[in-house]
Amino acid sequence: MKTMRVLALGAAVMCAATPALPPSARAQETVRIGLTGPFTGGSAPLGVSIRDGVRLATDAINAQGGLGGRKIELIERDDESKPERGIQIAQELTTKDGVVGVVGIANTPVALAASRLYQEAKTPIIIPVATGSQVSRQFTPPAHAENYVFRIGAFDTIQSAMMAEEMVKRRKITKVAILADSTNYGQLGKDDLVAALAKLGVTPVLVEKFNVRDVDMTPQLLKARAAGAQGIFGYALGPDLAQIANSMAKIGWKVPYITSWNASMSNYIDNAGVNGEGVYMPQTFIQDTGVSPRWAAFIAAYQKAFGVERLPNPSSAAQSYDALLLLTAAVAQAGPNPNGAQVKAALEDLKTPVKGVIATYDRPFSAEDHEATVPEHVVFGTVKAGRVVFVDEADRARVGK
Amino acid sequence: MLDLLPQVLVSGISLGTIYGLIAFGYQLTYVTSRTVNFGQGEALAVGALVGLSLTPVLGYWAMLPVVIVFGGLYGFVVERIAVRPTLDSPSEGWILATIAFGIVAKNVSENIWGKEDLPFPSPLPPQPIEIGGAFVMPTELLIVGGALLLMVAIEVFNRFTLLGRAFAATADEREAAGLMGIDTGKVISGSFALSCATAACAGVLVAPVTLTGPGMGLVLALKGFSAAILGGLTSGLGAVAGGLLIGLAEALTAFYISTGYKEVPGLLILLAALTLKPEGLFGHVLAKKV
Amino acid sequence: MRALHPTLAVFALMASVPLLAPNAYYLHLATVVLVFAVALLGLDIIVGQVGEISLGHFGLFAIGAYTAGLLSVDAGAPLAVALVAAGAFSAGFGAVLAFPALRTHGPYFAMVTLAFASIVQVVLNEWTGLTQGARGLAVPKPQLLGATLDATGFYLVVFVVFALVWILVGNLAASRYGRSFQALQGSAIALESLGVSATASKILAFCLSAAVTGVAGGLYAFSEEYITPQAFNFDLTVVFLLALIVGGRANRWGALVGAVVAVWLPNLLGDIAAFRVMAVAAVVLILGATARSVALGARGWAAWIPAAVAVVVAVAAFQLETMTEQRLSVFGLLLLGAIAYLPEGLVGTLAAAWRPEPASAPGAPPDQGVAAGAGSVDGATISFRGVTVRFGGLKAISDVSTRIETASVHGLIGPNGAGKSTFVNTLTGLYAPSAGDIRIGDISITGASPARIARLGVARTFQNIQLFGHMSVIENVLVGLHLAYRSNLIDALVRSRRYRCEERENRERAQALLAFVGLAGAANRDARSLPYGQQRLLEIARALATEPKVLLLDEPAAGLLPSDIDALVAILRRVRAGGRTLLLIEHHIDMVMALCDRITVLDFGEKIAEGRPDEVTSDPKVVEAYLGATQAAA
Repeated sequence: MKTMRVLALGAAVMCAATPALPPSARAQETVRIGLTGPFTGGSAPLGVSIRDGVRLATDAINAQGGLGGRKIELIERDDESKPERGIQIAQELTTKDGVVGVVGIANTPVALAASRLYQEAKTPIIIPVATGSQVSRQFTPPAHAENYVFRIGAFDTIQSAMMAEEMVKRRKITKVAILADSTNYGQLGKDDLVAALAKLGVTPVLVEKFNVRDVDMTPQLLKARAAGAQGIFGYALGPDLAQIANSMAKIGWKVPYITSWNASMSNYIDNAGVNGEGVYMPQTFIQDTGVSPRWAAFIAAYQKAFGVERLPNPSSAAQSYDALLLLTAAVAQAGPNPNGAQVKAALEDLKTPVKGVIATYDRPFSAEDHEATVPEHVVFGTVKAGRVVFVDEADRARVGK
Repeated sequence: MLDLLPQVLVSGISLGTIYGLIAFGYQLTYVTSRTVNFGQGEALAVGALVGLSLTPVLGYWAMLPVVIVFGGLYGFVVERIAVRPTLDSPSEGWILATIAFGIVAKNVSENIWGKEDLPFPSPLPPQPIEIGGAFVMPTELLIVGGALLLMVAIEVFNRFTLLGRAFAATADEREAAGLMGIDTGKVISGSFALSCATAACAGVLVAPVTLTGPGMGLVLALKGFSAAILGGLTSGLGAVAGGLLIGLAEALTAFYISTGYKEVPGLLILLAALTLKPEGLFGHVLAKKV
Repeated sequence: MRALHPTLAVFALMASVPLLAPNAYYLHLATVVLVFAVALLGLDIIVGQVGEISLGHFGLFAIGAYTAGLLSVDAGAPLAVALVAAGAFSAGFGAVLAFPALRTHGPYFAMVTLAFASIVQVVLNEWTGLTQGARGLAVPKPQLLGATLDATGFYLVVFVVFALVWILVGNLAASRYGRSFQALQGSAIALESLGVSATASKILAFCLSAAVTGVAGGLYAFSEEYITPQAFNFDLTVVFLLALIVGGRANRWGALVGAVVAVWLPNLLGDIAAFRVMAVAAVVLILGATARSVALGARGWAAWIPAAVAVVVAVAAFQLETMTEQRLSVFGLLLLGAIAYLPEGLVGTLAAAWRPEPASAPGAPPDQGVAAGAGSVDGATISFRGVTVRFGGLKAISDVSTRIETASVHGLIGPNGAGKSTFVNTLTGLYAPSAGDIRIGDISITGASPARIARLGVARTFQNIQLFGHMSVIENVLVGLHLAYRSNLIDALVRSRRYRCEERENRERAQALLAFVGLAGAANRDARSLPYGQQRLLEIARALATEPKVLLLDEPAAGLLPSDIDALVAILRRVRAGGRTLLLIEHHIDMVMALCDRITVLDFGEKIAEGRPDEVTSDPKVVEAYLGATQAAA
């Protein structure tokens, strides 16, 4: 039975050692902010753009001396787009690392799973990319006393309303088909889109799904064509939206194609090539230096920091950048060494407008409303000659102000 | 809806050939060593990515042989690191070791080529052509043609070259082949090299239609694996038949029944087939003397 | 009871985690560790005991999670009800899964399980009316005895479930059921030859494994409070398997250690500061181990590979600011290292290092008294009437009729390829005759399963030894005693008084049988470590454990030394003295002559002679068959 003894010893040492792992000991010299997202795995392009945006904003603030003399320290954790990792990270950041707030999460299931931990730990999180409409509303008053989950970005309700109006009202197409991926993202988006269409009195002729990384979308498109569809909605990530565009070209079918915001990502543009031109998608930020000096400065800073010419995912980088600005503004307003509850209170009552990249946020949040992005922030972009451009000059002029 | 059947069949056959080609790679190593590379998807992805980097330098056609050689070397390393040390381990360690090797390969290629899906230039024009009422991309014809050519080439190699016959001998009876003076270790190494070369070549072939990235192989490899098992791991013909069956089941279900459930009929066929014939449709029973 | 103390200490430590954990993060990690440990204990029934790699346990885990989740969402079911239902429902699916998996092995088995789980995942995703599909299911906090559990309370529940499963799985593995699962891994054919249905054993193993994994899934639903179909995917199965292999299969401690590694590692690898500490510790440990093995005589550069890799990793850990991008490479390398250098897992390797080498088996002389196994039994006659066995177009046996008298020793001889093994394999049900009828006494066994024929009193040994090599010598015999138990599965799981009594009696019987064949001193060695001749004797002891009326010996003297053959003859004489019918297939003509009352000679599948030994040897056809064969071979 010596075996047992060794094992027992080993297990005991392991259990004992775990809590003893050294937490970084610089607690009070810096402002600790959590940064999380899927930095690896299938959603990595989204997670990396969050990280890029947040790091860019952090560097900008730290270069100007930080927050009241204290530098911002980012605690970065990769959630691998897994809800269970999201939960563990939420607990690690809030209870072990003691952050004052968190920016991150790209996947709606991760957001839905992890939110309650931020809620329980009374630590605010600003979610810059996960778009499921439910994400910021799990804990809204009056059912809950407080809500610690905030969001910036065009969530599904805004996007789907825009997409439906464009197709039905502007283009007068009422026979439409929806192709959405089979994940939580695509299916929640699809539900919002169906609801938005219903408001306009339209029922889609076909709603189909496909799996992420499916090679061939022709069966779905053939069905849509056979059902008499004259326009296609795509709700999915960039590569899959590209496969829809490619499959449409393959069967020689050219109808208006309107998608969720992901078609602005380089993985759509590059993989769809000429087939992807002309797609419409809602955007909060478009890489166009002529819009305003603030947009130009952000684009230049991004290009310099990450050595790229074309921003791989401009909307989410800009949203994440603005998310950090909002969070730090709240930390600064909440006073010295604030706790999560104070930061949350400050977020809901930001006294001075925050000049972000996408917009200037004047009281973006309140106790009831945790969405920083309003429909006016969102415009249609389209792909033209391999770049995302504004559909409407009027939009371009408006958002620049 | 029946008028669209040719187009759906084209979809299914094109998918099925891809699965079949990948299945073929599993079959190659299984017959010599009773193991397969569970990191075959990563071998496929790495092959495609290497091809992507080489195409601007060498052009598409000159890149192909280089990728095949690279795939062979990759397979050699897989065998050396993940399979050989675990071949006789009690716990089928090779299943997990090849998975672990794939994890490393994927992570390394993420760090080299990035995590984005990249477009792969096709050597053929992007305009579809019409055959018997169905649209086909020239690239898909290249995949089907290339896959068939590759499989025929391997069959010829196995039947008419000395090394190929050593493969066959080892497949029949490893110990006996060893006693006859065949270095079975080298044969197994060789079969892994050939298998990964097939996968790398498959990667380059399918990349123009599947998008290219470190994660491109996972789903394909699993589908290819089910094709190989359905057809029987001991049979090259079975790999092709299994691939076509699963590809067609998928396309037909997606079109006529439900896109959400499109993978289920293929899997049910697989379960039914293995319930009745545990060695796969075309597999041989490996008689065990008692 | 001293041996129990370390286990109790670890369990006491686990019970006090809520007091020790500095914050909710560690408490939650500990909860997830125990949930995973339960899942791994379930998986280990298939992987460790039955010896097949299942890629489908994520499906069973998902079924458990959704059963518990839906019951508590839709019906407000309390925790206990939800968990029981999760286990029961999952067990049902396990039974269904067992059918396609029954006759498959290796990669085929892996694919069957994977296909099943993939279907489960698709159905969970698509059946939105029931599961809410991809939207996911928010699971309320667990209710116990009318109260809502907090994190500490839930941890304690998980701990209690874990402890219960730990005990039950331990009892199962040590019982006759566990032995039959492990025997499947060694040789399903041998298991059937002992009257135990391999099919039933496999189905039972699947049900129990699925039940435990399902309960773990149920716990998981409550620990995460939100589940989606996509959370249960191939990645999860890989994590399960890797945890089990790294921890150590066929060992409960392996499941626990594996769970700790699986849950802790991703967190560790996400935190560079913690990883640096671990990397340095690993370098020190591995360097120490390497230095020790070099001092003990290991030579060559290969011995230093692990240490070199550890140093490189440690240096890299201090060079990097964050290891997000390299994390998976480190993870993969750790696994490759663990699989290559710790094939038995962390626990298995530690245990092996600590356990003294088993004493070598003394060549004890056989117990001269007529022991339990050879006690008087009524033999039975066997009759073949016009039996033909065809493989494709080839007739392996052609129209053979013969009668083997009760309590006699009947020899079956013939040149190679004469059909002797086919004769035995047909008699024991491995092959079905194409024509003709075979009877034991008055009962026709034509087309019956091997297990049924064995239960009718026919036991056998194998030409190619079919021991359960990784089981101990006495366990091999205990598998033969499987049918001697009256106690049932519940008795075995809770170790009821009745069960313990029977187990003690049967161990005594097994020990007596080992003494009978002269293996008393080797009872606790691994069967595969026995010398060849002793393995043959062990097969005889195992066959005798079933108390057969008829014992078939397929070339028992093949490969034995002359001295071993004498011992064998002596043992067989005493077996026969107990009244059993013996059918002996043998090439050693001396031995056949010495033992047999009658002899049947086969050549090219046909019976060419039959009679007393002296009659047969003088038969010209027999002489010709043997001489012809010899000349052809020369």
